[in-house]
Amino acid sequence: MQFFKIPETDLDFEAGKGDCIRERRDQKGRFWLSKPVFETDPGCEEMRPKP
Amino acid sequence: MVTTAEAIDYKGKKVEFPLEYAAENEIPDEELHEHLAKPSTERTKRLKARCRWKHASAGEFVEKGVCAGIERMRLLTEAHKASEGKPEVMRRALGLANILNKCTVVLQDDEFIIGYHAEDPNMFPLYPELAYMAVADYLITDYAPQPVEEAREIMDYWVPYSMQSKCEHYFDPEDLQRMYQVSTMEAPGFATGYNSIVPPYETVLEDGLLKRIELAEANIQMAKDKMAEMPWDATKGLAWLDKIDNWEAMILVDKAVIAWARRHARLCKIVAENFETDPKRKEELLEIADINQRVPAEPCKGLKDAFQAKWYTYLLCHAIDRYASGMAHKEDTLLWPYYQNSVIDKSFQPMTHADVVEMVEMERLKVSEHGAGKSRAYREIFPGSNDLFIISLGGTLPDGSDACNDMTDAILEATRNIRTTEPSLMFRYSKKGRSKTKELVFGCIRDGLGYPSIKHDEIGVQQMKEYGKFSTEGKGATDEEAHNWVNVLCMSPGIHGRRKTQKTRSEGGGSIFPAKIMEVTLNDGYDWSYADMQLGPKTGNAEDFNTFEKLWEAFKVQYQYAASLVIRCKDTLRYFEGKFLQMPFVSSIDDGCMELGRDACELSEQPNGWHNPITTIVAANSLVAIKKLIYDEKKYTMKQLMDALKANWDGFEEMRKDFKNAPKWGNDDEYADAIIKDFYEDIIGGEMRKITNYSGGPVLPVGQAVGLYMEIGSRTGPTPDGRYGGEAADDGGISPYMGTDTKGPTAVLRSVSRVQKNQKANLLNQRLSLPIMRSQHGFNVWHAYMDTWHDLNIDHVQFNVVSTAEMKAAQKEPEKHQDLIVRVAGFSARFVDIPTYGQNTIIARNEQEFGAEDYEFIDADL
Repeated sequence: MQFFKIPETDLDFEAGKGDCIRERRDQKGRFWLSKPVFETDPGCEEMRPKP
Repeated sequence: MVTTAEAIDYKGKKVEFPLEYAAENEIPDEELHEHLAKPSTERTKRLKARCRWKHASAGEFVEKGVCAGIERMRLLTEAHKASEGKPEVMRRALGLANILNKCTVVLQDDEFIIGYHAEDPNMFPLYPELAYMAVADYLITDYAPQPVEEAREIMDYWVPYSMQSKCEHYFDPEDLQRMYQVSTMEAPGFATGYNSIVPPYETVLEDGLLKRIELAEANIQMAKDKMAEMPWDATKGLAWLDKIDNWEAMILVDKAVIAWARRHARLCKIVAENFETDPKRKEELLEIADINQRVPAEPCKGLKDAFQAKWYTYLLCHAIDRYASGMAHKEDTLLWPYYQNSVIDKSFQPMTHADVVEMVEMERLKVSEHGAGKSRAYREIFPGSNDLFIISLGGTLPDGSDACNDMTDAILEATRNIRTTEPSLMFRYSKKGRSKTKELVFGCIRDGLGYPSIKHDEIGVQQMKEYGKFSTEGKGATDEEAHNWVNVLCMSPGIHGRRKTQKTRSEGGGSIFPAKIMEVTLNDGYDWSYADMQLGPKTGNAEDFNTFEKLWEAFKVQYQYAASLVIRCKDTLRYFEGKFLQMPFVSSIDDGCMELGRDACELSEQPNGWHNPITTIVAANSLVAIKKLIYDEKKYTMKQLMDALKANWDGFEEMRKDFKNAPKWGNDDEYADAIIKDFYEDIIGGEMRKITNYSGGPVLPVGQAVGLYMEIGSRTGPTPDGRYGGEAADDGGISPYMGTDTKGPTAVLRSVSRVQKNQKANLLNQRLSLPIMRSQHGFNVWHAYMDTWHDLNIDHVQFNVVSTAEMKAAQKEPEKHQDLIVRVAGFSARFVDIPTYGQNTIIARNEQEFGAEDYEFIDADL
């Protein structure tokens, strides 16, 4: 899981808000999930903002 | 062993039937369909191999790991609790916006069209705001959303707010109990949550949502200016209040949709820049990111834009805002401008025709992964499939010219290549349609896909004009707009385009089951064989009917009771949908709703009231047998018949033979056909037509059997057509009973063509000879048959072209027959995922061989 800050120009920008990206793999293949979280939320394991 | 058709003498010459593709001489009958799939690229081959099918069989999901997600119901509930006190339409907008703003978005390897409707590609959402019974069903299964305790709390929260609770109050509990038996009537939509829609895709692709927001903003300003006019006139001015609420709700959801699409764009960019190692895919992900940044906010400029914007609109209208079955749109007409830009002019997103075929194959696989959170009952009635997804093609344009184009061909080519059960296709057959496209239609049918199903183009146009006359808004379809019709679900036609489309299923689909109604008509409205309860009004016992006319009149009363109750439920639901289940996103993309500031559920500009008598032929054949053997020939008394039926014919074998051998529908038999024609026209259509629905139009029958012919058959006792209790009923609105159409394919057409009044939307299943269809004469025979069908003014026909040998082989070794597809009713299914009871109904259908007389009747060029 990795945390990516939402750019200030995006419609859903809020201070401290980012996309928590998870890579998953199962018997059918690989996929990614993205869920909006705040830096203060628990859940996205690596809350270090990515550039 | 390979079976080929026997040579015949025809028009003075001997005609042989060699296979069109010589290589098939080496493929045994038992495995033919496993050799027909040909994905056009390595990518679609991979995507098909890893497709996350959501098929159900006997109500159970076939693939492990498929289950309901909790995210949608959680986010909807959170918004509902937080929005108390706001206008109801705004609460609905806030609910959808909360889902879109906070939901998980999904991106899978290899896909180009992106977007999913649940938090994991193995999941599907639930809809507690519709029907708590449909959610309760999941909570006790392996497919329950997790944590199940939270799901139960959410369901309980919605009980007082759900459509089910709001509507139930207005019905006699005894009537509802009768409906919940699902034997003479379908359960009410407010209890099942089953729904369908025709989204106005055109506005999304042509305008983009930013333009729709601008329109709503301008309308609000206009409304405020009007309200400020002096002197104040409350009789006019107060009407703006609701309109302003509707426009504000539209703006709110459209902004949320744009942000949601752009979250997908951001995910693609993040994956490209941080995770993906393949440089080609990295580049592609950046292209997808660019597309999703622009659409559906902006108008589509190329074909890739159009596929993506269409997919988002589909997800919103069919799965995220609320559940709706179907995939109603005129895909070839909708995408043609973008095909021209990308393939012909190469002005934006340049690509080849082959690239388009790949795009369609990818779209078909997206649909194949789409899971529907339907109740168990509804999973059971579509065995071997996910849901009903029907796309329309062909036909004529508003100026009357042929609507087939190269996009039509790309869709058909891709369909044949990729070989999936879904989405199904419907082809509007006009004699103006170009031969090249018809050959592709035939290619899909010959390969056993069971689709395209075929509808008569001119009849559909006429139906739209006829319904348009009843518009309470005075805005029914114009003569030009009447050409813009698609199948709303598997059978009923409805307008497509920027406005006047069907928004919710109150307009159609309420099912009434004449086979069971026949049974209770003989028993004073009582169901002795299944529910052991009164199912309809008391209309007398069979022994009391001393004339056939009295039986006829009693059936009519029972049928009217069932039809009126079913449609009253539909319209009551529609009333409450307009008040509590508004669809501001759909409103925002409908030109009528946008212009008038009205909600999509509430506004109806074009009536489209098609409802659904299924199992009509069991009842009709029963009437024929009764009239002949009891009233005309007096060979038996009604008491003897009732004794035999109560014994399930046990001890009455000779008598059963007589009833079984009485004339049957589909054999061009004048005696049977005269009775059955009257039955369809005076009762099935005539009684229904007396009803006026929400939209102000009459209700007409659209016999679309889905898998309900199996369910209803299993709940219907023995019937006077010689059928044993529990045997399946007839499989289509006007199809002959399985195995009883023994006089050839053209005799079926002649029988069906006799029914012309009060209806023109009945499903006709036919199983055609596989060796003839795969021969060098296959297309010519089919084409001549279709032109004859067209001339006979029959509305619909669809085909199975599959051998009994292969179906029986698949029953023995299902794992070797994953690509064997059959037409069940209004949908095609993976044969091995259909329960044996249902499989046997397909095998039992008569495989129509063409004889010299048939060829002459259709004037085949052999």
